Amino acid sequence: MEKNTQNNKHIIQLIVNREPTTLLVDANDLLINVIRDQLGLTGTKYGCGTGQCGACTLLVDGQPILGCLTLAISVNGSEIITAEGVTSPDGSLDPIQDAFIDNAAIQCGFCTPGMILISKNLLENNPSPSEDEIREHIKGNLCRCTGYNGIVKAIKSCAEQNQGDKSCTP
Amino acid sequence: MVNTKILTNEFEYHKPNNLAEIFKLITEYGTSAKLIAGGTDIIPGLKYERFSTKHLINIADVQELKYIKEDQGLRIGAATKLNEIKKFCAGKIQYNGFYDAVSSIAKIQILNMGTLGGNLCTASPAADSAPALLTFEAKVALSNGKTQRVIELIDFFTGVQQTVKESDEVMTEIIIPPVSNQVGSAFRRMVRVAADISKLSCAVLVNRQGDSCQSARVAMGAIAATPVRLISIEGMLENQKIDESVLNEIGNAISEAIQPITDIRSTEMYRKQVAGVLFKDVFQIAWQQAGVQ
Repeated sequence: MEKNTQNNKHIIQLIVNREPTTLLVDANDLLINVIRDQLGLTGTKYGCGTGQCGACTLLVDGQPILGCLTLAISVNGSEIITAEGVTSPDGSLDPIQDAFIDNAAIQCGFCTPGMILISKNLLENNPSPSEDEIREHIKGNLCRCTGYNGIVKAIKSCAEQNQGDKSCTP
Repeated sequence: MVNTKILTNEFEYHKPNNLAEIFKLITEYGTSAKLIAGGTDIIPGLKYERFSTKHLINIADVQELKYIKEDQGLRIGAATKLNEIKKFCAGKIQYNGFYDAVSSIAKIQILNMGTLGGNLCTASPAADSAPALLTFEAKVALSNGKTQRVIELIDFFTGVQQTVKESDEVMTEIIIPPVSNQVGSAFRRMVRVAADISKLSCAVLVNRQGDSCQSARVAMGAIAATPVRLISIEGMLENQKIDESVLNEIGNAISEAIQPITDIRSTEMYRKQVAGVLFKDVFQIAWQQAGVQ
């Protein structure tokens, strides 16, 4: 990793939503703030800032992690998918996003980006999860509107659709 | 009011490539440096200004500290992600209690970030991996680059977030000794919502011979300043024929014996009352499992 000695910043390279990007960051910059403030991808939400709510969930090299507890510098070289990146480049929605809309799995919407990413991660690893498996996987993403039933229903319906045409997994 | 959106602590960031480089950095910076592996405890600690640091040494990618293998028991590199451990132990019935404990830690995001060495070195009384590891009589290896010592995990913890690890030492390995075939083990915890930190946790490892418990190990978390083994309770279980009334009696003895505190997560009364019930549940899971082997 290179260091720009003039301003004491570090140069990092990330692939964010399939786009390679080079960024200048401070050692103490958190990934969530780099994603939101430097890249303008405000889908990722700042909720509690202490790793409790899951609103800042991001997929780093395919694995869900918390942007509020991750130093941007520590993921140098990684591939990151944010909620914006779930949508296809042509703007069409992912089946899991359609399923959230069809099942009214959104109330205030603040937890939704994190919920979409954690759901996508679940279906990638387990295309037909049981209700218990769904609830276990999303347990770290809090919905303060308590709209969990709709969210679970959306994931289930996407998984069922999945049995037919495999469209919910990449 | 703490702003949890940003880190205000400014530090120099170091990313050693191997153990030798870690020791070099620790020697150079001494107590002005902190190690970070997953960051799930360090970052909140820095945000809440529980501590600060001038140098942050990220050991997350040091390959020498990232492995899990079966070799006269189980050997785990301290910087191995909890999720890797969960995957490795899935279906390995002899490590059931440890698998239960690791899987129950927080949530998938935290398992992807956190490491076993980090969970132990933070030395929270509520660390979920600790009671299970105590029932397996796990050991930990500490090294300062020149000498290495292997100590029992029970001797590692000295208080809330305090351990015997010296500031120039790094935890390198966690060792679970071989487990016999007649053994069953389990771990369960009490929480308000699933991803919470434990109010109370219990691990049991039992050596069963028919209806009789030859020996058992019982450990609990979040009932004292450190995770603890309940040695007097283990004595009551030794060579004991197990039935409902015996378990009730032992459950009551646990409620009497422990001295938990009231804090943000729970009360002394709750912890005392529930400890006995939790023990019975966990014991029965371990007991059943020991019976089928």
